[in-house]
Amino acid sequence: MEPSGADLIRRMAAGDRAAFTPFYDRYAPLAFPLVLRIVRDRTDAADVLQEVFWEAWQAAAAYDPQRGSPEAWILTRARSRAIDRVRSIRRRGATFVAPLDEAIAATPDEGRVDAAEQASDRRRIASALAGLPDAQREVLELAYFGGLTQTEIADRLKQPLGTVKTRIRLGLERLREAIRER
Amino acid sequence: MTPGQRHDEFDELVAVYAVGALDGDDLVRFEAHLAAGCPTCEAALRDDDEALARLAVAGPRAIPPAHVKDALLARLDATAPRPRPVTRRWLPWAGAVAAAMAVAALLGAGFTATYYEKRLGVAARETTALRERLASQEKALRVVELLRDPRTQVVALRGAGPNPEAIGRVVWNEATGGQLFVANLPAPPAGKAYALWKITGTTPVAAGVFTTDAAGQATHAVGSAGKVDVFAVTLEPAAGVPAPTGPIVLASAK
Repeated sequence: MEPSGADLIRRMAAGDRAAFTPFYDRYAPLAFPLVLRIVRDRTDAADVLQEVFWEAWQAAAAYDPQRGSPEAWILTRARSRAIDRVRSIRRRGATFVAPLDEAIAATPDEGRVDAAEQASDRRRIASALAGLPDAQREVLELAYFGGLTQTEIADRLKQPLGTVKTRIRLGLERLREAIRER
Repeated sequence: MTPGQRHDEFDELVAVYAVGALDGDDLVRFEAHLAAGCPTCEAALRDDDEALARLAVAGPRAIPPAHVKDALLARLDATAPRPRPVTRRWLPWAGAVAAAMAVAALLGAGFTATYYEKRLGVAARETTALRERLASQEKALRVVELLRDPRTQVVALRGAGPNPEAIGRVVWNEATGGQLFVANLPAPPAGKAYALWKITGTTPVAAGVFTTDAAGQATHAVGSAGKVDVFAVTLEPAAGVPAPTGPIVLASAK
């Protein structure tokens, strides 16, 4: 039987390097598309991916399975590092960063055929996202994939801050419901 | 939460925090609330993170470039096995939070700068920082010991090539070895590290690799004593090289 993701992280926490390769092989294909979608540049995305997994190796001892799945653990990290990268590029202003609307538009899909279960999971989330009112989907995407804060979103959409918060909460609630229905 | 304070507002802040969009006073207030311990918010964050993880993988797929894995495995090989008991237990959440708060107390405002880094990330980083801090205090004590020895000298290194503003000092004792301190040297690119060389006559001898932190600083122990004419630092592959190949970024005067 294949070891669970949590087992791999536990072995990494104990300094077992042999656990790193299967951990990477399992989770890098999940993390990379997210990072690429956020930073938009393959070279930057590769750097961020490396940082994320290096940090995961170093921080494995802090992972607590009671607090979330290995997927959520690594993807939360990946998203944070990717947003860090985008914000630092925007701050430096040195490199062209694709405008946000373009950045959150779909990138070409390089994937192969998923296992049936994964495919249906993807479909359910995609349809849950598509089923959200535009106003809720927009704030979720600007925050999660675009890295804008609530204040930046409010400025950009010319909406009161309270409205932005409420839209984020409602949108996220709908997504949570869609997952619970599985 | 103090008695009488309503929890409603936090229901909304949890969601905004989960997507990493909380800022300003809201962020400070929510992190304080979370640090005080709130099972309701912790459970909500857990569910939100799981939902967002699904959202993250529902988008277009992309295949990670092969060189990233190669670079990581090389970095792993270059790292000494960590002195960590195999029987180590999971760090309990309460312990991680306590460690994070201890570091927060030490670092003050630095803690709030972690911004949208979330609960686990914060705990992991701050626990690591705490360990590193303890290690750096031990190093400081060793340097104090070194400086008491009249044979100890302090060798200045100046930035060269791409990093003229970089500086370094080696506290060096020919009998016992020493410590290198570096400042103003940017963190090396991914897959690279800085290598220290001890040059006696014209022969460079490898004295370990190190990286600088986000602030451009590093401390590196220099072992195996002996006479050294010049200390130099070059930029090399992270796995280390037997002889210098990259540009010199720091060097002492002969």
